[in-house]
Amino acid sequence: MAPRYPPPLVTGVSPKEGPPGTRITIRGENFGNDPRDLIGLKICGMDCLLSAEWKSSAKIIARTGPGKGMGDIIPITRYGGVGSCTVGFRGYFLQIGPLQESAVWIDESQTVQSNLDRGRSATTIAAKEEEDPLGILDEGDKPRLGEDQLLEMFPEASGNLSLENFSPGWYLLEHHRNASFSDLKAGLSYMKRKASTRSEGPITFVRSNLTTILDCLDSLTAMYEKYNEEDLRGDCMNSYAVLLMQAKSCADGLFQEVLGRKDKADSTRNALSVIQKFRFLFHLPLNIQRNIQKGDYNMVINDYEKAKSLFADTEIKVFRKVYREVERRIGGFRNMLHKRLKDTHNTLDEQKKLIRYLVSLEYKGDPAWECLDNQQNWLIELLDDCKDDHIEEEKNSVQAENHAVSPGGPQWKPLSKVNKSPSRTGITRESSFSSLSSSDQQAAWKFRTPQKVLFIEDITDIMLQHFPDYWRLGQSYFTREKSEKGVKIDTSKHGKMKQMMTEVVSLFSNYVRAAFLPESLEGMPEAEREKFGVWPKSGKQDNIPGNWLPICVRNIRNCANYLSGLDGHGDSMIVLKDLAFDMRTNCMFTLLKQAISDVKCLHTKETWVVETDDQCGGTTQLPALFENIVNEAIQHLHEVVVMNKPSEPEIFSQRPIQKEATMLCSQLLQAFSICMEQLVFSPPLQKKETKQVKIVIGQEVEVEQHGDPIPSLDKRLIIMLSNCRHTLEVVVPRIIENLTKHGYVEMEKALKAAQDTYGALDQRLFSSYIEQKSDPILGAMEPNLYRGGFSWRGWQGQAQGVRNYLKEIIMSLIEVHSEVFSISPKFVMRVMQKITEAVCEELCRLIQCVTEFNAGGAIQARLELEALHSTVRIYSTNHVEACFKEAFDVIPELSEEGKLMVAGLLEQFKARMRIQLWCFQSEDEPVPLKMMTHADSSC
Amino acid sequence: MFCETGIMSKAKPQQPAVIHKVIMVGSGGVGKSALTLQFMYDEFIEDYEPTKADSYRKKVVLDGEEVQIDILDTAGQEDYAAIRDNYFRSGEGFLCVFSIKEQESFQATQDFREQILRVKNDENIPFLLVGNMADLAEQRQVTEDEALKRALEWKVTYVETSAKTRANVDKVFYDLMREIRSRKMEASRQSNGKPKKKDSKKMKCVIL
Repeated sequence: MAPRYPPPLVTGVSPKEGPPGTRITIRGENFGNDPRDLIGLKICGMDCLLSAEWKSSAKIIARTGPGKGMGDIIPITRYGGVGSCTVGFRGYFLQIGPLQESAVWIDESQTVQSNLDRGRSATTIAAKEEEDPLGILDEGDKPRLGEDQLLEMFPEASGNLSLENFSPGWYLLEHHRNASFSDLKAGLSYMKRKASTRSEGPITFVRSNLTTILDCLDSLTAMYEKYNEEDLRGDCMNSYAVLLMQAKSCADGLFQEVLGRKDKADSTRNALSVIQKFRFLFHLPLNIQRNIQKGDYNMVINDYEKAKSLFADTEIKVFRKVYREVERRIGGFRNMLHKRLKDTHNTLDEQKKLIRYLVSLEYKGDPAWECLDNQQNWLIELLDDCKDDHIEEEKNSVQAENHAVSPGGPQWKPLSKVNKSPSRTGITRESSFSSLSSSDQQAAWKFRTPQKVLFIEDITDIMLQHFPDYWRLGQSYFTREKSEKGVKIDTSKHGKMKQMMTEVVSLFSNYVRAAFLPESLEGMPEAEREKFGVWPKSGKQDNIPGNWLPICVRNIRNCANYLSGLDGHGDSMIVLKDLAFDMRTNCMFTLLKQAISDVKCLHTKETWVVETDDQCGGTTQLPALFENIVNEAIQHLHEVVVMNKPSEPEIFSQRPIQKEATMLCSQLLQAFSICMEQLVFSPPLQKKETKQVKIVIGQEVEVEQHGDPIPSLDKRLIIMLSNCRHTLEVVVPRIIENLTKHGYVEMEKALKAAQDTYGALDQRLFSSYIEQKSDPILGAMEPNLYRGGFSWRGWQGQAQGVRNYLKEIIMSLIEVHSEVFSISPKFVMRVMQKITEAVCEELCRLIQCVTEFNAGGAIQARLELEALHSTVRIYSTNHVEACFKEAFDVIPELSEEGKLMVAGLLEQFKARMRIQLWCFQSEDEPVPLKMMTHADSSC
Repeated sequence: MFCETGIMSKAKPQQPAVIHKVIMVGSGGVGKSALTLQFMYDEFIEDYEPTKADSYRKKVVLDGEEVQIDILDTAGQEDYAAIRDNYFRSGEGFLCVFSIKEQESFQATQDFREQILRVKNDENIPFLLVGNMADLAEQRQVTEDEALKRALEWKVTYVETSAKTRANVDKVFYDLMREIRSRKMEASRQSNGKPKKKDSKKMKCVIL
């Protein structure tokens, strides 16, 4: 609660009485400290706050309301509350006659009208009679003289002012018998003053008694007519008539001025009422202006319609003039609307509204069509600008790149580009595709969104934003005409409209094609193609990185889908769909191709670190990388290829595409084999060499990072062999499964091709590995066998046991075994079989070549054959058995003693070489003792 | 809307019962309103705006007694001469003001005196002759002697005031109120002592 101040108190009022609307000064105290404190003012019970003017805390000026009689003046203040007063105000009403001048507008409807209706009433004269001519108020407390008393005093006279025999004495006695002499004197001066104010004398008299005189005149005229009719008086009538005429002219003279004024007043009144009546029209130009400024166009149009229906054919000059003004304004308005319609930044609704306005304003021509035309031009312009801008950018960046590549050129700053479109940098997506790319330009590309991608985003944005509006505008153009006019359907325009739509759409599609599918435009003449923009070719960097393509495709597809959602309007939608389809295919091919090239580049990633796990055996990371690349490509393509939006054709529905896709898939699958082969037979250069040659930075870093020396050929062979096997058995089927799942067709073919390829590679790798391994062993066999002048024939010494050469062979075999086992246990059998076969074959061949054995030689040969035979038993094949058989046949039969000796020596050999021989045990043959018994039995 | 009873209960009982009704008379433009406003609100109005009839009333302390002074500021202009009678009738005391720099206004006091006496019908009505605009002595047209002579003639007090400087402003109002008070006391004594003597002398003069 605000602090309470003393309530306001009114102690003075000036003036203290008056008619409604009197300006009064109210004085007192505590009227508040500023105008807002005064929150109420009542004068004679009437609220006068509106007219109150706060002057100071002691003074308020206000106008009185229609209160009547004595009343209080009560101010109310915010903090003082309801006030009180010591003085009051008396309100009274003034009646102003029709002939009195007045400063304020008087409602005459009562006085004038009623007087006119009722005829002249005698109020005026009656009022005058009541007023004392001397201005002396009757004291009233003294008894009056009786009429007869007066009549006695003044015979032949009367106190009536209006009578001829009026006697002032009578009057004074009757009315002012008690007045003092000085009063009477004052009264006289008052009367004189009064008389002087109406110095015109008779006129004033006539005026103040007008009705009576008019009545007299009327009755006189009536009398005259009556007498004339009846011809009662004859001649005297003439003078009577003359008198009447004179009276009339005199009256006319008297009232000329007044009547003139009255006429003027009447005409003014008429004019006012006309203005009132047609205020609408007269205010219309101003209103139109105002409403236009306010933007209330509907109002303007309504007003105009109304005015048109009312005044269009008017004959009245004033109206015509005003109406012309209205027309002028409307014309301006029309032009303004038209101009605004041309402004292409309006929204669809605004445009529709503007068109509606224009149509309802009867704009000449076809505003909607103009708007459509305009919109189309604008759209085309937008697309054009977009294209040009981006091509320009691209050119600049290509130049910058070229500069950057050339040594000593200015450093290209990707940041400056990035800054230009900061919103796009967020989408930069790293993937193996771009990270694998092996040029520094490519590396630079990683840092920013390719221009074409920006371009496609911008251009689809434009299409998505503006084309639907444009289309709807066109749609509503026809529906409106149908609904409103009924007759005015212009079918030619329908066609034209369609054509315009198609024009825009195909322009859009061609721009996109020029950027992404330039080959699809090859059918066009050169000049026409140039119109759609020639994108600079930056040498190797022709295509944008594959990981961007799906984004582009998504954009285009969204666009196509959305636009075709607007109701497929024929040609233009087909164009769009084709575009989307082509984009998809292109994207798919590009991505697949990119994947292939990526896979081909995989050999640079080999680290030669073998990881063994139980299922796959030993592999390097390469197959996994390969699988990754492929899967990633599939993943990228998933949206593009598999997810068909409604009304989009199946991507594999077209035979050539399907074929190509399948081909690419199988190429992709096979690409790895090339990579592996390359790795084995022409591995990447050694570290030293890379430094000398200085190929590319990326690779150098790679090599430095891993720093693993490249293993020897046989090692590489066995590793790749394992990889190849793994790829063939695990990776490829998995990929195929994935592909099939993603809807790629005829994958069996691809699988088949891949299997063939990898099988062949496997074979190749295997055979070269075997060759690699068996060659040194076999080569060393013969020299070692005959070392120290050994001869089967001339063997004299006691059989000492198995000779070293055989042990070396076994050791070599063990070495191979361990090598293979360390990479992939699975290959042990396969490799060992092949190698033992070769070794056994060679030994047998050597034995067979012996022409002659002596006894010792035979024992020795037998012993060594037996030893080898028993050692490689688990890897033996039919062929090996046959070889051994032939060799045994060559050796002459031993004596019993010799046999025993062989058995003993063999036993000795087995015991000595036990550890080594374990390597030749199969895993399900647990104990070495058992093996010995085997050996025994085979003897 | 507004609490009438609230006003009644708050405002009315506070007002002292005794009200002295003072009427300002004199020609137009002599400073009746200026005197009144100076007395009431201590403010001096420079610009001239003819008065019709203003009413003021406030509480004052007269010789330790709280009374209310009711001032009726009348119109000096001749136009309103006819309505004066009504006003004069209600007055208990009169300040007859003229401007010392305007001889005509001094002469007019004679007429006002007569009119008051006629209306009130009382030779001893509380009445002060006031010569205003004393601050403009250099433009003086009415000498002090002249005025004093007339006052003596009427058996009233003559005071020279200045609404501008507030000289003697309070004095004229308070002096008048004292006169009114003593008149009232006298009257009450009379009415208590013996029935009111009614002047029933009748003028039978007839002017033909």
